[in-house]
Amino acid sequence: MQNFEINSNQIDKIKKITTEEKRFRIRNLEFFKAVGFPNKKLEDWKFSDFKDIVDRNFEELDTKKVSSNINKIDLLKDFDHNYILLVNGNLHSSNFDHEEKNKIKINPYDKSIDYEISKNPLVCLNHALAENGYSLEISKGYKLKKVLVIYNLFTKDIKNRILNNKNKIRVNEDAELHIIDYNIDESKFKFINNVYENIILKKNSKLKSLFIQSNKSDGFFHKFLKNKLSLNSDYSNLIFSSGLKFNKLDIECDLIEENCRCNILSALFLSKNEHQEIKTLVNHLAPNCKSNQKVKNVLSSSSKGVYQGKIYVKDIAQKTDAYQLSKALLLDDNAEFSSKPELEIYADDVKCSHGSSSGSIDQDSLHYLMTRGLSRKDSTKLLIKGFLNDVIEFIKSPSIKKFVESKLEQQINES
Amino acid sequence: MLEIKNLQASINDKEILKGLNLTIKPGELHAIMGPNGSGKSTLANVLSGKNVYKISGELNFKGEDLKKIPVDERARKGIFLAFQYPLEIPGVNTNIFLKTSLNSIRKAKGEKELDTLAFLKLVREKTSELGIDEKTLSRQLNVDFSGGEKKKNEILQMKILDPIFSILDETDSGLDIDSLKIVAKGVNSSRDSKKSFLVITHYQRLLDYIKPDFVHVLSDGKIIKTGCGELAEELEKTGYKKLN
Repeated sequence: MQNFEINSNQIDKIKKITTEEKRFRIRNLEFFKAVGFPNKKLEDWKFSDFKDIVDRNFEELDTKKVSSNINKIDLLKDFDHNYILLVNGNLHSSNFDHEEKNKIKINPYDKSIDYEISKNPLVCLNHALAENGYSLEISKGYKLKKVLVIYNLFTKDIKNRILNNKNKIRVNEDAELHIIDYNIDESKFKFINNVYENIILKKNSKLKSLFIQSNKSDGFFHKFLKNKLSLNSDYSNLIFSSGLKFNKLDIECDLIEENCRCNILSALFLSKNEHQEIKTLVNHLAPNCKSNQKVKNVLSSSSKGVYQGKIYVKDIAQKTDAYQLSKALLLDDNAEFSSKPELEIYADDVKCSHGSSSGSIDQDSLHYLMTRGLSRKDSTKLLIKGFLNDVIEFIKSPSIKKFVESKLEQQINES
Repeated sequence: MLEIKNLQASINDKEILKGLNLTIKPGELHAIMGPNGSGKSTLANVLSGKNVYKISGELNFKGEDLKKIPVDERARKGIFLAFQYPLEIPGVNTNIFLKTSLNSIRKAKGEKELDTLAFLKLVREKTSELGIDEKTLSRQLNVDFSGGEKKKNEILQMKILDPIFSILDETDSGLDIDSLKIVAKGVNSSRDSKKSFLVITHYQRLLDYIKPDFVHVLSDGKIIKTGCGELAEELEKTGYKKLN
């Protein structure tokens, strides 16, 4: 790709920033310019050579601002919900009619994010240029009555753009929030969405997050999630992001106080040449915390799935219970699954385990189902759904579960 | 119903069935007995359409060459195999699987597909007829089922799918007397002038409850003796050695 240059004066155009923030942005931009898009020589990108992917898919790219005008949006009718509408990453509107409105604060991107220096060039690019996104805060003790759907709408204005957005979610003490991140891509173009998200869970709080999209997308998505879990907080992230051309979710969870629980589960059905990576780093920094990661991929055609999962246990994090498992079901000889589990443990009284397996459809199971009159196609579909089922079972709300199942069905049928 | 002439089947160049002949007419129940390794399960697998064997000879089902018909289509034509070792299918709900299965068979027969309510009514009817706990069907297909539960589930599937030709591959093995009675009840209550059965068993015990029209002895890939119910009793006393 020839045409991609970022001029430093782009940062000058960002309004209302302190000298310190400006310096931080320039430093990040310089780092990005020196390294460029991450390639496979970087250990964290060894299975997803983003530079190569960009070179192959884009002739030009730019970081100019995009319009966030829309005529209308079709809201989900499957279940009652609150919503936030993001258009090309910009906070467009929100609706919390089901809730006590003074308990919820929603604002455009919050500049007070605690920035951390990152070695991830895409995070640096985001730190340098991000101006949009949202900041959400749930008051102490408030439990939302209905799920919050975050509509992430992409319009036709974003052809060949890189959108850098920053989001922040803060769930205060004893509060509870259930989110569905719902992508709708109306663009039909190639673009890059580069998101940095910061999640802060205070004492006894709970956040359930689910990621899914309405339709297939030619977008290239990268999201870095930085989560901090305090005493007795409970975080779960369910990933059903099938249908994206490229997606890398880089999730870092710091379990900074005792008795935190962290669940990261994914059920993906990838087809054609889709490429998805889930990379995790779960830092057990305090005793008695529990983490559970389960990544399930069904891969057809020439799709590629990647899981890089690391569990770090600090010396003081005794009685840690950490588990990770990745399983892949390969439907085609050209499909590929790469897994790199890592454990780094400095405490001596812990329970940590990991497992990884990949294989094809079991022919005996297929035969069994077919002897009951199901066609080969239907039997295969049933086995695929069965394979992904234990992640779906994690959804407790029947209406949301039904919604996810129907989306998954659609994804399998479209392949 | 079924006509087998000079059936030969081999796997990895190992010949298992070596010229088997068998004719089963509508309404008949045939039992096949025989020592381990004689080819009983291979016969069941070949009839169900398992695609791992090299096959020659004639295999006609209601006038059609069965060899040309794939597994799922055989099921839709009314052939059912109760497996010796039913497979565990994690994540697949038994009810949903059975409903999909039944409807694909009904569709092939030109019958109306059943909605959930009508299906559950049918399930309730069949489970209570056999004395099987209905809850079994809300579990994942055969997952964590005991050996007996798996076998009973096969018979329940047979009752719900209502085939015209059922093959029971050692369904009685490993069953206690109560479960054995359930299996026998499943078969006996299905018997009529149109439906046929091929029951593969090691023990005469099952044949105390299911009365066969014919008993065949399969040995080294061929049927070496055919008789009626008394043949099974005789085998129970003398074993297979005397026949060879």
